[in-house]
Amino acid sequence: MIKKIQSIFLCFALVVTSLVGMGQVTTVAIAADFPSKPIEVVTHAGLGGGTDTTARMLLIRTRKNLKNNAYITPKKGDSGNKAMAYVKSKPKDGHTVLAITPTHLFRMARGEAALTIDDFVGVARTTVDPIVIFVNAKSPYKTIEDLIKAGNKKPIKYGGTNVGSVDHISGLIFAREAKTKIAFVPFEGGGAIMTSLVGNQIEAAGLNLDEGKDQLDAGELRVLAVMADQRMAALPDTPTLKEKGINASFATVRGVVVLKGTPQSAIDKLEKGFLKAMKHPVYQNYLQGAGLDSSSVAGSKAWDTEIKSIYKEARAALVSLGLAK
Amino acid sequence: MDIFSNISLILDAKTLALILGSTITGVLIGALPGLSSGMAIALLLPFTIYLEPSQAIAAMAALYCGGTFGGSITAILINAPGAPPAAATAFDGFPMAQKGQAGKALGMAAVSSVVGGVISLMVLITFAPTLARIAYKFGPPEYFALAIFGLSMLASISSKSPVKNLIGGLIGLFVATIGVHLTTGISRFTFGVDELFEGISFVPVLIGLFAMSEILVQASKSELFLERIKFSAIKLPSINEFKSCGKSILRSSGIGTFIGILPAEGGTVSAMIGYNEARRWSKNKENFGKGEIEGVAAPESANNAATGGAMIPTLALGIPGSATTAVILGGFQIHGLRAGPYLFEQQPDLLYTIFYGMLLANFIFLIFGLMGAKIFSRISLIPRGYLWPSVFVFCLVGSYGLSQSMVDVYIMLISGVMGFFLRRYGFSPAPIIMGIVLGELVENSLAQSIIIFDQNIFMFFTRPICLLFFGLTFLSLFYRPIKNLIMKGKKDE
Repeated sequence: MIKKIQSIFLCFALVVTSLVGMGQVTTVAIAADFPSKPIEVVTHAGLGGGTDTTARMLLIRTRKNLKNNAYITPKKGDSGNKAMAYVKSKPKDGHTVLAITPTHLFRMARGEAALTIDDFVGVARTTVDPIVIFVNAKSPYKTIEDLIKAGNKKPIKYGGTNVGSVDHISGLIFAREAKTKIAFVPFEGGGAIMTSLVGNQIEAAGLNLDEGKDQLDAGELRVLAVMADQRMAALPDTPTLKEKGINASFATVRGVVVLKGTPQSAIDKLEKGFLKAMKHPVYQNYLQGAGLDSSSVAGSKAWDTEIKSIYKEARAALVSLGLAK
Repeated sequence: MDIFSNISLILDAKTLALILGSTITGVLIGALPGLSSGMAIALLLPFTIYLEPSQAIAAMAALYCGGTFGGSITAILINAPGAPPAAATAFDGFPMAQKGQAGKALGMAAVSSVVGGVISLMVLITFAPTLARIAYKFGPPEYFALAIFGLSMLASISSKSPVKNLIGGLIGLFVATIGVHLTTGISRFTFGVDELFEGISFVPVLIGLFAMSEILVQASKSELFLERIKFSAIKLPSINEFKSCGKSILRSSGIGTFIGILPAEGGTVSAMIGYNEARRWSKNKENFGKGEIEGVAAPESANNAATGGAMIPTLALGIPGSATTAVILGGFQIHGLRAGPYLFEQQPDLLYTIFYGMLLANFIFLIFGLMGAKIFSRISLIPRGYLWPSVFVFCLVGSYGLSQSMVDVYIMLISGVMGFFLRRYGFSPAPIIMGIVLGELVENSLAQSIIIFDQNIFMFFTRPICLLFFGLTFLSLFYRPIKNLIMKGKKDE
């Protein structure tokens, strides 16, 4: 008898909870209720990589700020195009966020990508990591001018990640603007580039500061220049290419975007949630550990303008290099 | 260096519990095909911010150790290597399980894993800063020479006919060419499928060639003879069996530690080379591939030695020695820590915590593995009709889970069907796997070397390490004919 009562009670409880659940589903459509379901952040890279880790660090506090769950969906393939196609298939309600990097922008600039530059709106910038030109500490090239001069005699063996990546394009643009020559040696990742540079397999490389910081401090590598408009706080004595009259500023920037057409109120809430999360020590410590400035963080307006300008530059660069029509 | 005075660093309840939990989680995740220890660490990374930095890193390192061992369990029991480094363990482990010696194979895997793991950790704590510099000596030309040495074993890696092994190896090399070419950025054999741009993922192929093709083999057998249940299956190996494998275990531990140190290669290549060297020097060559216990001991000690080896450049230089250690380095960042030369000079406490964490992890999975062997080995007693359909579900979930992509599931199914027919016609999966593993390395390192050498291919012969590996390759190919010639010459005298 007791068992029967128990099972009736259980059934009743089940019915009630499922009804409550349905009630929630019906309210989804109202934008004012954003967020009404967990937020999905779509990445294009493998677990444990820079983009993945940054997104995870960002979400730790964002969940608390938005009082909502959030999770990461990795969609690898075709330099971010797979991730873009996936986001495109989702409703424009702010619940799907794309973690964007120069990889996506360069992919778009090459043409025939799932999204175009006008299909999305920037929400917040999460990291800015300028490309730094490294050489071996024992190398005869003491300044960026030495390197440029040497390249005129014989192309500099210059390491970077994959063909068509920001490393590759920035190297080519640097060579063009400085009127020198490089022979680009592509590698699978930053670690391999760095070991090849210390081991004297290549002559120079464009790396993020963090990728070569240990070897720089240990006196095995030297930095010649930073590809940025302003000097890096962590490298106050290293000139920028701009100071040297070379117009080549490139960085691994990361940030989040949503599809255009998403209600402004949702974008505002997301922006607020993300920015607050990035002010928290959890995220700030992470930035510091990666050798990055707290000025990495920027809001919707600044980030949206920046994406558009990176895209424009990337497009011009690819066309001028003959890599896109 | 006074190693043992620092053991108190991990002797508090929370740290011990964390290491215990991480190791066992690692073993279980490692055992599931499609879930890797690297993935588990990446997912747990954000949660470790609530821990002390040293505890967090020790827990991650322990998970890494456990995960590498875990892969052997499913490789032996159901021919589905839980992770790529365990692929070579399936070559002999699964035939042993089929012969009713699952317990022996599992027991041997546990013991040889620990020996390999502990040896590499001892090397780590004593010589890391010196040995780590090997990583700098290895540029693209050296990797090319190493890969060529590895490929020279294709013909002999299984006891099947050498010609068929070579054909299998070529199939593997072909599969490795799919995707975007590193130095030109041109996509090959992708047919517009976005998922193929970054190449065929290795895990679905592995699950397909081993487990899925095994399901088809099992399904094609008639159930006329009910196999007698063999209770001997839960027996552990005898002391003599351990002794007979001693040399192989030591050799593989050395190979694994060395290859582990190299940033571009790790457990999978170590296990393959360890396996092949064990076969080359063994008295029971013809038994390899048919359930030879040395064939389990060699790859298992090699791939676990590679975990300690991979930690050497990771900790001493801040260069990840493997995919999983790259994620562990991410963990350093989150905690605002830095690996590299500093760690050894300025933060010895952190270093020792990691060292003891990994050492403890090895002993935890030894106990877990030996006790578990008796339980896990019963899986091999499950009637075929129940076991293999459940393995099929495992294969599907395992290949999908990797990157939540149906394309990976199709790759798994296609490799399964191909594997089935290849096996019917007398091909072994071993050279195919070897071809896939080394294919990308050999191609990329050659392309990079040619740019570095200004298109002059003869520059390879100016590099000492290249010459060493080319010499070894020559010996491994021509050792027999030369020996025969010398023997013949002696007879004529």
